Amino acid sequence: MTTASKSMLLALFPDLDPAAHAVEKLRELGIADDHVNVISGIPVTQAMLGRPHQWSNVPRLAMAGALGGLMLGIFLAFGTPNAYPLNVGGQPIVPGPPSVVVMFEMTMLGMLISTFLGVFLDSRFPSYEPKEYVPEISDGKIAILIECEPENEGEIQAAMTRIGAESVKHAEARKL
Amino acid sequence: MAVLAKPAGSIGKPHSHEDEEAHLREEHLMLDPRPRGEMNAMVMESMMVTSWKFWVISIILAIIVAICLGYYWGYMIVNGLGVAGVNRPIYWGIFLVNTVFWIGISHAGTFVSALLRVFKAEFRRPFTRAAELMTTFGLVQAGLSIFMHMGRIWLAYWLFPYPNERGLWPNFHSPLSWDFLAINTYLLSSTMYLFLPLIPDLAMARDRSTGWRKAVYRTLALGFRGTEGEWTHLRFAMNLFAFAILPVMFSVHTIVSWDFAAAMRPGWSSTIFGPYFVVGALQSGLSAVAMVIIVVRATMKNMKYFIRPEHLDALGKLMLIISMAWAYFFFNDYMVQWYNGDKWTDILLKFHEEGPLGWMWYAMLIFNIAVPWLILWNKNWRRNPTILFTVGFLVNIAMWFERYIIIPTSLSINRFPFTYQFYKPGVEIPLSIGTLALFVLLYMLASRIIPLVPVWEVQEGQMAHSLRKFGKESIVTVSDLE
Repeated sequence: MTTASKSMLLALFPDLDPAAHAVEKLRELGIADDHVNVISGIPVTQAMLGRPHQWSNVPRLAMAGALGGLMLGIFLAFGTPNAYPLNVGGQPIVPGPPSVVVMFEMTMLGMLISTFLGVFLDSRFPSYEPKEYVPEISDGKIAILIECEPENEGEIQAAMTRIGAESVKHAEARKL
Repeated sequence: MAVLAKPAGSIGKPHSHEDEEAHLREEHLMLDPRPRGEMNAMVMESMMVTSWKFWVISIILAIIVAICLGYYWGYMIVNGLGVAGVNRPIYWGIFLVNTVFWIGISHAGTFVSALLRVFKAEFRRPFTRAAELMTTFGLVQAGLSIFMHMGRIWLAYWLFPYPNERGLWPNFHSPLSWDFLAINTYLLSSTMYLFLPLIPDLAMARDRSTGWRKAVYRTLALGFRGTEGEWTHLRFAMNLFAFAILPVMFSVHTIVSWDFAAAMRPGWSSTIFGPYFVVGALQSGLSAVAMVIIVVRATMKNMKYFIRPEHLDALGKLMLIISMAWAYFFFNDYMVQWYNGDKWTDILLKFHEEGPLGWMWYAMLIFNIAVPWLILWNKNWRRNPTILFTVGFLVNIAMWFERYIIIPTSLSINRFPFTYQFYKPGVEIPLSIGTLALFVLLYMLASRIIPLVPVWEVQEGQMAHSLRKFGKESIVTVSDLE
């Protein structure tokens, strides 16, 4: 894909080592980290590739969900029995220990649902529009998407090929 | 620390260094890598190549489901719960036996997947999904069994908390409401936990399919490509799920046990019922996982590469350990109840052992304790699919018997001798067969659509493993890639 002023290249590597070297080389060539994206068929850590730490909101969303679930649990265990009092053998309307069970279940449910939704939110799922991708990635290849100035394309292509890229071409957004 | 299925040094007696390495690679999936594209093709082929036998079995199961579940449930709805065997004093019959049994089966998926992920047990990798799928489908059967027990299923919405003109409100301090919350929490969590690691495999399947499959996988893969961000978010979520779903798993069966233990009944009022039920759930669940992966290995194409004797061996060891734990909890529960000398408990225990269903009590002990202990200590027997399948089958029979003894058999005897009654199941029997058939049918159909082996996890594991020489011996070493 080529934007008005920038080009997008996709370099495909057979393995992790050349991909890690390529990341380093791109930095030397003056390509900023946020103009590079690595796509792989298995989780490759940022440390392995020498890439900056990826930020994720999932843990924070999980905490928020847990808190929301706890609030709902408190509402169900302590709030609603007073609205619909059920007198069971003269026992307290809001007993302590059984309320813990309700609060625990709702807290965990809130946390797990928000964790799940957090992945959707952070990853922008679902997203069905065309994207830069090649099916070889799920066959174990590692792709590096490089956003660069058109005049640097030749230099980058040559450098990537030298390092071991199987192919370096213009990235085309395609329907997945 | 990563845990292997088997220490490398203890396998066989190879003659040379080359023989030894070849033997290790044959033994361990993690040391026998194949190109990712080849593994993808193998998993796709296992889903897409279906013999006529598969369809014949599916049709037979569908007919059983239609008759046993569809017809008999309809018959019960039309005629009322009277066609079931439940009556005073046995209000809880096979429907609740099945509920507890299926919730137990569902435990293994989470146990195998989450606990072994937390402890980085490497042997889990190829069969976590097969186990997780059992959790989801097992919980579906548990939910159906509760609805059957409910009788007037069209009033099920009364369980939901919402302001209504009837002035009814679920009592959230009742163990039955906890059940509702816990089972739903577990069902939702385990389904999400099944789906998250599945996304990369769905994307793999999307890249390799055409026609309707392509459309299905494309929709379910959600546009996943495998960018750094997508993997990071997925990793965080999977690790969080693995830790958080374990207490949920423990809570579900503990709460199920409280349905009984919170009642002041002889044989039920026990403080150890929580852990006893959890261990019982793992006992039946792990055996079911072993049975399922043996069937998957035997019937699906290419599965012998992914599921090897080392995995059966590891599962066999787990089954043996859990069998020991079950025996300990059973003895503890029995011992305390027997020792306290309560007259009604004494009568009940004698009824369990010497009553008309005494054979069930002895069968439970033999299949749950004697059979695993006599067989699973032996490495060669653990690695034999037929033997391990038979042990798993017997353990599951025993665990069903255990629930039967705890519920209808124990309800036969109470503090009012004039109400003693013997439980005679009615439509419960065809309905039980129907739920079992539905479980197998759902699993079979899912095996044609869902990649049963998480290929990316297997490849990740293979990347992390290597052979290292220590003196003259080759040792398997594992790197922590996370």
